[in-house]
Amino acid sequence: MFLKTQLSWNVVIPAKNLDTNGLMLQKAIILRLMKNFADKKATKELGYFMALTTLDEVGEGKVRPTTGDVLFPVKFSCITFKVFRGEILEGVVHKILKHGVFLRSGPMENIYLSHQKMADYRYVPGETPFFMNDKSSKIEKDVVVRCIVMGEKYMEATKEIYTIVSLEGDYLGPIWRS
Amino acid sequence: MSRQEEEEENAAELKIGDEFLKAKCLMNCEVSLILEHKYEQLQQMSEDPMNQVSQVFEKSQQYVKRFSRYKNPDAVRQVREILSRYQLAEFELCVLGNLCPETVEEAIAMVPSIKNRSRQLDDEAIEKMLNDLSLIKKFE
Repeated sequence: MFLKTQLSWNVVIPAKNLDTNGLMLQKAIILRLMKNFADKKATKELGYFMALTTLDEVGEGKVRPTTGDVLFPVKFSCITFKVFRGEILEGVVHKILKHGVFLRSGPMENIYLSHQKMADYRYVPGETPFFMNDKSSKIEKDVVVRCIVMGEKYMEATKEIYTIVSLEGDYLGPIWRS
Repeated sequence: MSRQEEEEENAAELKIGDEFLKAKCLMNCEVSLILEHKYEQLQQMSEDPMNQVSQVFEKSQQYVKRFSRYKNPDAVRQVREILSRYQLAEFELCVLGNLCPETVEEAIAMVPSIKNRSRQLDDEAIEKMLNDLSLIKKFE
């Protein structure tokens, strides 16, 4: 689910970027904030940091005595992406393994659907392997699958969220839509 | 989040933590419009906008383009307006707007909490809501 949040961060502007012209300063703050935002990538609480939408408030700058850099407290709005246990998610299959498939949804690529969570599907090996059930419903690469989130885990080291999903439930499975 | 809270989290019952119940959720189609606008702004700021955006931005942009059921900005606005009439939580509203269930049964399977909570939307109300949504799609 995409979430809209307001956050308060500090932005440090190096002394050399400071200018008497206010417009340049505003631009320097936005650019620095955008870089910090992209570098942050994701947190456990808010999920993936997708896009900064507006810069809402810039507080009074504080000079750092040792370097002369200036620290500005800022408030901004942004969009993040996080999944919740029990949420119904639509994803695209991008990798097929013998024991399950990987889906991508939003900015996430580590969404794992285990063979055990789609019990009626059989693995069909070959050059382009796929999963199929008795009703000839096929799960192959690039197919859209609707599934339910069983759990998610954030790993600080990679700043990635790993999610496991299941097809056990009504109206779940591969979908075709015109 | 404490361990206990984490174990209790369940979006199907709308147990997703107070901070998220209050947070504004966005539908895929809304995010698609926002990102498109954002991308245009970046184009004005720099010659090579793709270089300015993160991978997270890029992947999300591709995803919402593919998974937006409504493309036209007016239609997107109307979808939120219609769904807002049914006292749904933000989270429920966006799941319905994203998945566009076709039947009452499917809607309840996608968002079980619309039946569990005290306000109890009856089947007739859910049916009307789905009909109104499909009308927007037809006239888009």
